[in-house]
Amino acid sequence: MEIKAERKVAYFIAIIFFFIGVICYAAFPIKKPEEPIRIMLTSTAGNVLFDHKEHASEDGYGIECLECHHTMEEGDTPEACGECHEAEEEDGILKKSDAFHGKCKICHEDEGSGPLKCAECHAM
Amino acid sequence: MNNQKLFISSHAPYWHNMSSISAKSCHIMLAALPAVIMGIYQYGIPALGVVTFSVSCAMFWELIMNLVTKRPVSIGDGNAAVIGLLFAMLLPATTPWWIVLIGTFLAIIIGKEIYGGIGCNPLNPTLVALAMIMLSWKSYIDFDGALVNYDLAFLMKYPLEALKHFGTSAISEHTAVGLLMGRQSGGIGATFGLGLIIGGLYLILRGYIRWEISLSFLVGVFVTAFLFNISDPVTYAGPVFHLLTGYTLIGAFFLATEDSSSPVNFIPMLLYGAGAGCFTILIRNIGAFADGTVFAILLFNVANPLLDKIKPKAMGKGLEHA
Repeated sequence: MEIKAERKVAYFIAIIFFFIGVICYAAFPIKKPEEPIRIMLTSTAGNVLFDHKEHASEDGYGIECLECHHTMEEGDTPEACGECHEAEEEDGILKKSDAFHGKCKICHEDEGSGPLKCAECHAM
Repeated sequence: MNNQKLFISSHAPYWHNMSSISAKSCHIMLAALPAVIMGIYQYGIPALGVVTFSVSCAMFWELIMNLVTKRPVSIGDGNAAVIGLLFAMLLPATTPWWIVLIGTFLAIIIGKEIYGGIGCNPLNPTLVALAMIMLSWKSYIDFDGALVNYDLAFLMKYPLEALKHFGTSAISEHTAVGLLMGRQSGGIGATFGLGLIIGGLYLILRGYIRWEISLSFLVGVFVTAFLFNISDPVTYAGPVFHLLTGYTLIGAFFLATEDSSSPVNFIPMLLYGAGAGCFTILIRNIGAFADGTVFAILLFNVANPLLDKIKPKAMGKGLEHA
């Protein structure tokens, strides 16, 4: 193929690919599933990758929604933890890290399974 | 008298064998296609968006640089498209558009064009871009964080990250066949081991990449991982796991073999590949990063000019009665 023809093909591919790319980004944004699958909890001590699906599904640990989403009423969609629990304690509501530590560690201790040491969760 | 014919040549005119940079670029993209298609199949339209946007942006950056520097338009040779494609193959499917835009700018302008364009870059442009993005926006290249909304039919924790933090017990579910067939999370075009191997072998057989670099890279990974594994099998994974996870295979066949940043002599090629493979495992096992392929290859890109000075074979040297 001659250089001019190669250049024309390249222009054509670049333009077509650009439009495909823009359409993919604009028209097909990444959908969040109705029920989270995994949640990356960011922390200065190391991020925690929480497997929500494994904890909530019947095939996994089968934990009831209300165990963690304690303000939820029957039939309601559970709110995310961060909706109420802020980075710092406010109006008597536990700060996010204390809420997580309380729920996760206590449950793991009670059940006798699951990580208890810092680095076993704060690994990422 | 010496009757040995040393070199036979004839007078011009010569016949062009029709090889060209654009043909080479097409063959590299063709070889990468199975792995890319698998990535798009697994991660869907977002992966297609990253791949197409990356290829087009890389071509546009090269065109812009050609116009700014008033040099002939060179996007027809397909090299920019190859760089864009390889860059996309290393990214998670959820990479935002602006990371792709900046990444391709870094690859084309900082990694290649400022040195004079194709053939002049001392480092692999794709890896320059990825290293800078990894250091600047780490969270977007973190596969565990980026792929939280994907639930494919296999263990979705990034294997090298799981190994680094939890030891070999965390990767016990992975099988060699599963990893080979792309049943692991990772870059769009970096997880389908079989596709990458087929693509790599195709490029080797067509003479577009050097087998010495690919093979020595894989041997370097295998031997180093094996030594670590026998020293502590609980902490360090076996060599097959390291060969089939992360960027190892795409590194061996598509990244370490980049022309201008890799050696041309036989022994330097072996040292370059083996060294990069060895450092890949050193970084994975005792370094700060889960996958060391990017920095290991870049390190040996830097060493490339020195390595190529080892025993260069001068024309006619060493021939009897010469």
